[in-house]
Formats: sequence, C-alpha cells, structure tokens
Amino acid sequence: MIEIILIVIAPIVGGLIYGFERVVRARMQNRQGPPILQPFYDMYKLIGKQAFIVNPYHSILGIMHFVTIWVVVAFIILGENLLYVVFLHLLSTIFIILAGFSVNSIYSHIGSNRELLATIAYEPILIIMAVGFYIINGTFDIPVIRANPSEIISLVLIFLSFLLIIPIKLKKSPFDASEAHQEIVGGVEVEFSGIFFEFIYMAKWLEYVFIYLLLVLFAGNNIILSIALLIGVFLLVNIVDNATARVKMKHLINIVLSIGFTLSLVNLLGLSYV
Amino acid sequence: MIISPLIFALTVFIGRVKIRNILVVSFVIILSILSLLNMTLETTSFESNLSHSLHNIFILVDTLLLIYFLAQGIIKKHYLVTVLAIMQMLLYSVVLSLSPTLLSNDILVDNISSVMYLIINIVGGIIIIYALEYIKSEEFSAFKKNAFIAILFIFLSIMNFIVSTNNIEIFFMLFELTTLCSFILIGYRGDEISSNNALKALWMNQIGGVAILIAIIFSIHHYNTAYFDMLITNINELYLLPIVFLAIAGFVKGASIPFEKWLLGAMVAPTPVSAILHSATMVKIAPYIMFKLAPAMSGFVSVTITLIGTFVFFSASLLALSKDYFKEILGLSTIALLALMMSLAAIGTEEAIMACLVLIVFHAISKALLFLQAGILEKSFHLKYVNDINGLINHSPLVVFFIIIGFASLTLPPFGAFVAKFMAIESIAKEIVNNPLYSLALIFVAMGSVFLTLLYFKVVTKLFAKDVDYKEKLHVEIPKLYTVPSYMLLALLFIGVYISFDIELLSALEIIVPLVLIAVIPMLFAIFVFKKAHRVKEYNCGEKDEVKLNMYYFDISQKYKQLINVIAIVSIFILIVGVML
Repeated sequence: MIEIILIVIAPIVGGLIYGFERVVRARMQNRQGPPILQPFYDMYKLIGKQAFIVNPYHSILGIMHFVTIWVVVAFIILGENLLYVVFLHLLSTIFIILAGFSVNSIYSHIGSNRELLATIAYEPILIIMAVGFYIINGTFDIPVIRANPSEIISLVLIFLSFLLIIPIKLKKSPFDASEAHQEIVGGVEVEFSGIFFEFIYMAKWLEYVFIYLLLVLFAGNNIILSIALLIGVFLLVNIVDNATARVKMKHLINIVLSIGFTLSLVNLLGLSYV
Repeated sequence: MIISPLIFALTVFIGRVKIRNILVVSFVIILSILSLLNMTLETTSFESNLSHSLHNIFILVDTLLLIYFLAQGIIKKHYLVTVLAIMQMLLYSVVLSLSPTLLSNDILVDNISSVMYLIINIVGGIIIIYALEYIKSEEFSAFKKNAFIAILFIFLSIMNFIVSTNNIEIFFMLFELTTLCSFILIGYRGDEISSNNALKALWMNQIGGVAILIAIIFSIHHYNTAYFDMLITNINELYLLPIVFLAIAGFVKGASIPFEKWLLGAMVAPTPVSAILHSATMVKIAPYIMFKLAPAMSGFVSVTITLIGTFVFFSASLLALSKDYFKEILGLSTIALLALMMSLAAIGTEEAIMACLVLIVFHAISKALLFLQAGILEKSFHLKYVNDINGLINHSPLVVFFIIIGFASLTLPPFGAFVAKFMAIESIAKEIVNNPLYSLALIFVAMGSVFLTLLYFKVVTKLFAKDVDYKEKLHVEIPKLYTVPSYMLLALLFIGVYISFDIELLSALEIIVPLVLIAVIPMLFAIFVFKKAHRVKEYNCGEKDEVKLNMYYFDISQKYKQLINVIAIVSIFILIVGVML
C-alpha cells in the first residue's frame, strides 16, 4: 500500500525537490529565488494553455517518455530487478531523443544529438553500477540490496563515477550541454508547448526521484547514511552547478568516459580480487 | 531433411513461373512442417552412421571443390585464392592419409540442431518465398532465375546437414560447400564489383577451411579421432589446439573483425542473398560451432574467446555508427551480435548458453525481417541510403512499421534479443568473481549494447521525421509476395515472445504492464487532446529558408579503424600462441 502511495506522489516529491533546489541555488547566489511551489504554479499555467502540435509522433513520444520514467521510478519503489530498471530508463531516454528527431527543427535535432552523446557517456556507467551491486549481493533484486548493510566502502569508486554522471542526468553544470538553453534554445524541449511541455517538465522531476533513489541504494539498510548521502549529494551537485561553467559535449564524453570508466573498472577488478 | 531441399531444388526448373511459385511455397511449407515435427518427435538424440561409399563420395566432392577453387583462383588471377586452395589441397591430402581409430556416429541430432533446423527451414523458407518476387524484376534469364531459387534450396540443405553432422571431415566439406554457395550467390549479378566481392568472400572463407583442416590434423594426431563428440569427451586441458582452430573457423564464418570485409562485401548480392546469409544460414555456423565446442573450452581459451567476441561486439557497433548504407548498417550489427553470441557460447555456463540460443533465434527472425524491408526499399522506392529515407512514413507506413518492429525486437523488451542481452550481462557479471578479466568483457558489452541501441534508433529517427504539411504522396504498390513474408516473420516474432516467457528471468507482468502503460496512455491523449490541439510549424528562429536536416554521423577516423583491426588480429594470435604454450 505504502509503495503505491509513494509511486503516486513520486512526481510531486520530484517537483518539491526541484522547487527546493531552485531556492537553494538562489540563496547560494545571494538571490531571493522563487517560492518552493513554483514548479506547481508553472504546471498550472501550462495546463491552461492552448495545445499546439507540431506532429502527432512528437507529442506522443513526449508523453511516452514521461510514462516510461514513471514506470521506472515505480519499479524501483516496488523493488524489481535493478538491471531491468536501468534498461527501461534507457528506453525512456530513447523516447525523448526520438521525439526530438521527429520534428524538422534544427534546435530540436541538436538537442537530441547531444542527448544521445550524453547517453553514450552515462549509460554504461549505470550498467556497471548495477553489476557492482550484483557482485556484492549476488542478485539484481533491489529489496535484497536495500536489506543488506551498506557497501559504499567497497563500491566507493563506482560511487564516485555515479556522482560524476548525476549532473548529466539532472542537467546541471558542467554537464548540461544537452539542454543548454542559451545556445540551442532548450534543445529537445524546444518544440513542446502547453500540456505537452508539462509532461516533459514532470519527467524532469521524476528524473530527480530516479537519481536520488539510485543514490540511496548505496546506503543499503543504513537509514542515517542514506539521509546523509541525500543531503550531501544534493548540496554538492548544486555547489558544483553554481561553481562551474558548461563544458563542450566532446569534453563531457571524454571526461565521463575516461574518468568514470577507469574508476569503475578498477573497482570491479578490486571486487573480484577480494 | 537434408535430401528433400535437394529434390526441391531440382524440381524448381520445371514449369512456368506461376507453377514454380506455387511449388516453392508448398516446398517451404513442407520443410517448415518437417522441422517442427523434428522438434516434437526427437526428444532423444538421433544418431546414425553413413556408409563407406558415401564417405568416398564426400571425398570426391571435396577434391572437386578444391580443384574448382584453384581453377577460379587461376582464371580470375586471384593470388590469395590460388595459394589458399593449394594449401587446402596439401592439408587435405595429409588428412586423408591419416586414419584415426576412435570412431563415432557421423550424424548426431541433438536439441541445438533441432532449434537450428527451425531457424534454417522456416526463416530461410520465408526468405525464399520473398526471393520469388525479388528475382522477377532482376535482369537475368529465366534459367538463371530458376537456378537462383534452386541454389537457395541447396543452401538450406547444406545447412541442415552441417548442423546434424558429427564428423569434422564432413563438416569441412559442408563448410566449403557453404563457401561455394556464398561465392556463387554473391557474384550472381556477374559485374565487376560482384565478382571482386565474391572472390573476397571466397578467400576469407578459405582461411576458415584451412583452420578446420589444421584442426583435424591436430585432432587426429593427438586424440586419434575426427569426431566432435569424441574430441570433446577426450579433451585434455593442456592440449586445446584443435578447439582453437575450429573456433577460428567460426570467427571467419561469423565475419568477426578482422574477417568482417567479406560479409560487408556480400551486400552487392541480391537482397534475398544478404537476408539468407545474415539470418538463416552461413553466419549462424559461427555460434553453432562455438556451441559444439563450448564443453571443451576452459580457462584461458574460454576467457580469450569471450574477450575477443565482446571486443568485436563493441567495435562493430561503433563502426556501424559511421555508416549510411542501410544494408551495411544491418551487416555490421549482425557482425556485432554474432560476436556476442560466440562469446556467450564460450562462457559456457547454462545461463550463457540459454542467452545465446535465444539471441540466435530472435536475431534470425529480426534480421530477416529487416533485410526484407531493405529489399523493398531498394526495389519499390529505389532507396539504399538511410539519409534518403526521410519521411518514408508519409509514403509507406507499413514498411516503416516493419522496420521499427525489426529494430525494436533487437533492443527492447519483451523481445528475446533484449532478454538475451540482459542475461549476457548477468552471466558475465557472475564470471567476474572467478576471473577479473571478465570485467573488461562486461565493459565492452555495456558499451556495445548502448552503441547498438543508438544505431537502431538513429535509423528509426530518420523514418519518423515527418513534415507538418507534406505535399505529394508517392503511390507505390508493394507486391503481395513482399508483404506476406514480412507478416509471417512478424508472426514468428510474436510466437517467439510467447515461448520465451517460459524461460525468462523477468516475469511476464514486469514486461507487459509497462508496455501497456507506455502504449495506452499516449494513445488516450492522442484521441482526446489532439483533436482540440492546433497544428503549427516548427520554430526556426525566424529563418525563412527551409532547413534540410541530415542524419548525424559519428565519424571514426582511419587510425582507430586500423587500431581495432590490429587489436583483433593480435588477440587471435595471442589465443593461438597462448594455447601452444
């Protein structure tokens, strides 16, 4: 029962995290910032707008992106197979990329293209992370991972490479090239409007929930550690976001693949020798 | 099973086109029923011994074949073909002069052979039906057209034989016969490019033949037998050379890098040939032979072959990203997936074998479906390059649908290829604990599967790109003989999904619920919201001119391509040298 409630309110939680984050970031920059509920005000406004369609596939794929990411979050909460969750998450990314390509707009295409390249960078690391958990726990089942004591020490390098990809997923500097609104007018999102944009917007909130749920897996059954991780990573990501400038797509891939892969590989090798 | 396609091949020459078509369709149905019956009847394995006179005929066939290759090499002035043919002749005479004492059955049908029968006969048969229509519009004489169909049937027969034989010498003969078939089929158009590529396929596959002969010699020399089952039961971990050479023959047939050029060159052949080479026949020998050898592989050999396989999987997917020619993209993805199958078979755990089998079946169906669409694009729309298929959805939603299903079945749940990849990662993850080198294999698989997904969706995006108001609609009639085989393959795909629910890691619920949600909710929106919505054009930042968008490329520089080749060749040498030491 509690799981179902959690699943239903997941987008709301994501929205709150997003709103809170905007406040925190504003305070870091010595600004007042919008109210915490700002994302929901935006949502209300978007729903009331006249719907525009560029082409039907575009809009449908956008909605599919949202539904899939919600299913992914639901599967993590219900405690399904971690590897399956990672693959399903790839599917949701594919939907938004397809949506971007399905319209004849340069900005949308560039956005999709960058999103694709970003996927190349982070997806293997997510898979390796899942395998890391598998080696430790002997299974991909999320409930088992949650029930066992925290293994963050033996997975520390994989944890670091996971930290490295969080900014890509949450569209934060220095790795936010895929939506860089100053250069490519928002990228993939550019052709969405009104209620259809609302789905993309909510999908972004769910992306927050997804990332933080994965993060908590590192804490195992240690509740204090998981809260510490949540707060620590939340602050860290925002500090980094405020302190760095955007890097080029090419650098993003080079940085993430070289550092992330080396760390993960060393970690896997270490695990097999222990 | 082996003989009936040969008879069919002969009867194809009789009668007019219409009668021939009806005959072929009924033959295909007979073959499919036979293979299904075999699946249900032969629960225990079937064994038999062939008579001595038949063995003599095989020797004669082999000799004639090698003479034919030699003659081709001399006539076409192809240096490599000639040298390899002479090498094969010398080695073959050595093989004939040796007489092993440990004997076994020549024919051995086990469960894996039964599965292979299903793929060969049903998928191959469907492709032959498709070939009837395809060949009609080619500029060949009536006899040559009939011969084309006949050769395809003979090919099926050879394949049926190859998966039932237990004798490595017979295996060598059949291996060479498939080489011959592919040589004839690739060079079928008779122009310069075709015959060049056919020769390329010939000499590369001859390397495989040489490897098999060396394997036989080592096997007889050390184990005193030329039978697969005897070899595998008597295997000594210190002496795996025959296994390694047979595996190399597998790499050649499976067109693994560095032998990938022949399969890519095979693209000049008529599309049914590519389809049948890629799905039902020829390249499927590669994972099959790995299957046969899997129990004998251990330690170093198993790890090295897995590493080579996953490396090829990774690099072929990477190379495919820079291609534009639709068939070439399909070809490279075949190479990648075959390499994955081979490495799975080499791991040899129960789970890996299962994953490999699932992958073989689904890959055959999906690739056949995709190649048929490639043929339709080529014949009906005169399109060869992905970049030109912009907005195909306006003209032929059906073809687009088939292509999308084809790609989806290679990447997404609930289709078997997805499940297989899933199981692959799991079984490699299990092995990491035993041997840290597998973590490298894991990274290759993880990267490769991401690349492959991108590759497929790169093509799909091109199909989707639709304008708001397209002006003209092409009226292209697609013949029934094109669409019906596609529907049949689609049906097979779904039967496969239905069967694979029994063996999956994931419950049906886990797969069906999200699929229904992902499909239904957007549809509801499409119905209720889209009517009220306004249609607009894309935002072009005030640009007046229409923007023509092309496909994106990931250009891989020559330096890296060479590096990939060098790594592949070096690793095969490491394999051989490592086993010798």
